[in-house]
Amino acid sequence: MHTSSKLKKEFFKKWMQGLQICCSSKKQMNIMERKKKIKLSSDIAMASAKMTPTSWSNALISNAKKCEQDTVLVDKLIGPQSQLKLQKTSNKMISFHNRVQCKKVLKRSCNYAAKKTKRMGDSRKNLATIIAKRLVKKRTKVLKRLVPGGESLDEFSLIKEALDYILSLKVQVDVMRSVVNATEVVLNGDNLMKSV
Amino acid sequence: MSHELRNDPSLLERQQARMKWQQQKQQSFFNASDHTMQNMFSTSMPLAQTNETFTGLLSGHNGLDIVKPDPGLMEDWAGFGDHLSYGYMNQNSIMPLGADQSFVHGNSVSVSTSVTVSVSPKKRKADKGQSLEVVTEKEKKLKGCAEEGDSKITHQNSNNSDKATGDNKSSNSKGASTNTSSKDKSKVSEVQKPDYIHVRARRGQATDSHSLAERVRREKISERMKYLQDLVPGCNKITGKAGMLDEIINYVQSLQKQVEFLSMKLATVNPELDFNIDNVFAKEMFQPSTSEFQGLGCTSETPNPAYFQLNSLDQVYCGLDMGINSAEMALRRSLTAPMSIPETFMDSSCFNQILPSAMWDGDLQNLCKMEFEQGTLIPIQSHQYTGKVIN
Repeated sequence: MHTSSKLKKEFFKKWMQGLQICCSSKKQMNIMERKKKIKLSSDIAMASAKMTPTSWSNALISNAKKCEQDTVLVDKLIGPQSQLKLQKTSNKMISFHNRVQCKKVLKRSCNYAAKKTKRMGDSRKNLATIIAKRLVKKRTKVLKRLVPGGESLDEFSLIKEALDYILSLKVQVDVMRSVVNATEVVLNGDNLMKSV
Repeated sequence: MSHELRNDPSLLERQQARMKWQQQKQQSFFNASDHTMQNMFSTSMPLAQTNETFTGLLSGHNGLDIVKPDPGLMEDWAGFGDHLSYGYMNQNSIMPLGADQSFVHGNSVSVSTSVTVSVSPKKRKADKGQSLEVVTEKEKKLKGCAEEGDSKITHQNSNNSDKATGDNKSSNSKGASTNTSSKDKSKVSEVQKPDYIHVRARRGQATDSHSLAERVRREKISERMKYLQDLVPGCNKITGKAGMLDEIINYVQSLQKQVEFLSMKLATVNPELDFNIDNVFAKEMFQPSTSEFQGLGCTSETPNPAYFQLNSLDQVYCGLDMGINSAEMALRRSLTAPMSIPETFMDSSCFNQILPSAMWDGDLQNLCKMEFEQGTLIPIQSHQYTGKVIN
């Protein structure tokens, strides 16, 4: 695995921090709540563990902030400095997003008629390219939905963000998996001890 | 000249004719162009006209672009442009937006004309941050493929002084018609204006701003796709953009689902979100492999609550890099050791405010049962997991 161990450390640290904060607030939670807390803290930890904040990390954090319950956790995890950065970037993102959407609407309305006429006189080759383009468009749409904050990105930066996001997801999965295994081993040991 | 082109539907035929013509008349073209440039200077065409014709030429190119996708073909750019590039050069020299060199290579005949276009500021802004990157990428590509003729887009502000420099460059270029010289000059021009995107059009392809910008975009994207291929497993065989995107989507989805699943699993395994035992134990387990056993003994004795501070987490994490197997081995060794050790772990974890004793309180009988079940399940599952972690 070529994912950096430094990033993993950072993520793990923050995640544990977040979990401790979670535990300190409530004693009893049902399983779904716990799962949500775990996931949330891991997501936020992942987003804040990055050295250079990227679009998706900011989007994750700002989405989490919207939910009132979690803001405390989020704020504590992120730290004061990055909060300011977040606000600025999130404002920019919102305005950019709106602009992009307006442009898209315009484009769509303009191109619709043009496309129809274009299709009429197409050779087979062009038809193939058109189909390919449509496929690509569909998939970029799906990818935009998957990557947090990807709605307002153009194709190139979307791919860049997706790259970054994949890396961080891998780190997240690795760390979580090893923690799960560690806890299992611990419990296994405990149970064995009890049985003996 | 250009008016003919605009109306002419059979550009392809012309092009082929020109190729033959060009191969014969290459030298004369070299010589002729010199004169024509100078001639065009004297005859000052009105600006508006040049713009129109220019765009006309540009639109005329689009059809060619589709027809001729392969840049490596022996199309002589110069031949192809006995009307076009000819016209280009002329117009370039006159257009106040600026003109750059046009190179004609020796026998390989790769002509690089440079086109100056006024690009919308938004495009410029978007690409500004990446222009230097693009530039370096382009440089690498140039070095890689020596035969391809390129042209450059330099987005320039309307600058009359550029015209003069452009003229000088073009006159120099004819003498030194090699790739290296063009690269040097391109480097120089790039260094001077770092916030432009420098693109080279390949031989036989249109040089209008739109298609060139498109090409830049496409190349950037394909570059990123290559990185993605390394990241996403199993993508080596897929070449198309749509297929790659499909794989990426599947991979991201699977990773996200894994995170969900793992967090659910953690939630079940750890009833009170109490990961502090985990930390302690992980720390013990993941001591350097040589001193595992002793480490376990030592650390259990020191009553230091500093274990729970974040400093310890660094050490924990160093260890987590190691495979889980070593941890399991350490655990098994510890189990064979005197029974006191796990108990001391439990005691040390008492330092934490969230007492583990809370875990074993009466209200959590259900949870205890769950843990027992988990305990029975775990031995089976853990083996599977080790397989995964080693990965």
